[in-house]
Amino acid sequence: MSAAVLAEGIEIGVHPTATLFGLTFNLDTILSTVVAGAIVIGLGLLLRSRVTSQGVPGKVQLFWETIVKFVEDQVDGLMGVKVAPYTVPLGVALFLFILLSNWIELVPTGHHLPAPTADANTTYALALLVIVWVHVASIRHNGIGRYLGHYFKPVPALFPLNVIEELVKPVSLSLRLFGNIFAGAIMIEIIGLLPRYALWLPNAGWKLFDMFVGVIQAVIFTLLTITYFSLQLSSSDEH
Amino acid sequence: MANDLNQSIEMAGALIGGGLILGGGAIGAAIGDGIAGSQLIAGVARQPEAQGRLFTLFLITVGLVEAAYFINLAFMILFVYVIK
Repeated sequence: MSAAVLAEGIEIGVHPTATLFGLTFNLDTILSTVVAGAIVIGLGLLLRSRVTSQGVPGKVQLFWETIVKFVEDQVDGLMGVKVAPYTVPLGVALFLFILLSNWIELVPTGHHLPAPTADANTTYALALLVIVWVHVASIRHNGIGRYLGHYFKPVPALFPLNVIEELVKPVSLSLRLFGNIFAGAIMIEIIGLLPRYALWLPNAGWKLFDMFVGVIQAVIFTLLTITYFSLQLSSSDEH
Repeated sequence: MANDLNQSIEMAGALIGGGLILGGGAIGAAIGDGIAGSQLIAGVARQPEAQGRLFTLFLITVGLVEAAYFINLAFMILFVYVIK
C-alpha cells in the first residue's frame, strides 16, 4: 500500500545503488561528494598558483583569507591557536565542503547531483569523524586519567548525564545538518509539482532561502566542531 | 480483508503521528525563534552599536533552534513514508 496520497511521484530516499563486497553504495551521493570535494581542492590549488605576499591579493586569496581568518578567530577566542593548531585547517575544510555540498543541489542538473548532505550517510560520516577526533585528541592531550575524570567533573553524580551528552553530540550534529538540507530538497520537489506558470516565484524564493540555510548550517557545524575541541582541550589549563 | 483493515489502521496511525510530530516541532521552533528575536531587539534597543555581533549570535541561535524542528521533520518523513 503506497503512502503517496497527495504528492504523487516524489520518492523519498531513493538512490541509484551499487553493491560491492556486500555493502550498498548510493552512487549519486558519491558523485556529488566527489564533485564538491573537487571544487574545494580546485579552489585550493588555484590559490596556491596565485598567492602573493607582496602586491595586491587577488579575489581567490581574499576569499580564502576571509574564511581562514573567521575560523582562526573562533579558535583563538575559545582556546588559543597554539593548543590545537590542526583545528583551523579542519574547520576551514569542513566549512567549505559542507557549504558546497549544501549548495550543489540548487544547480538544476535533473536528479544527477543531489546534495550529499541530504543523504544521512554523509552527515553521519562527518559527525563521526569530528567526534572521534575530539575524543582521541582529548586523550592524547590530557592523558587517559584526566580524560575519564572529565566525566565526573562538576559533581560525580552527574556521570550519567555527561555520558548521555557525549553520546548525543554526534547524533545531533549529524541530524541537524541532514534534516535542514533534506527538508530543503523535499520542498524543492513539492514546489516542482506546481504548474509551470506559477512555480518560478516560490522556486526562486525557496532556493534563496535554502542557500541562506546552507550557509548557516555550515557555520554552525564548524563552530560546534571548534567548541567541542575547546571544551575537551582547554579546561585542563585553568588560570 | 482483515489485512487491508490493518494496513489502513497503520496508515492512519502513521499519518496522525506525523502530524503531531510536525505540530509540536513547529510550536517549539516558533517559540524558540521568538524568544531569541525578542532578546535581540531588547539588546539592540539598549546598545545600537552592538547590532552586528548580536545579529550573528541571533543567527547561530536560530540555526540551533531550527535544528530541533528539522530533526522532527526527518522523523515525520520516516513515519509517513517509510514505515508502511
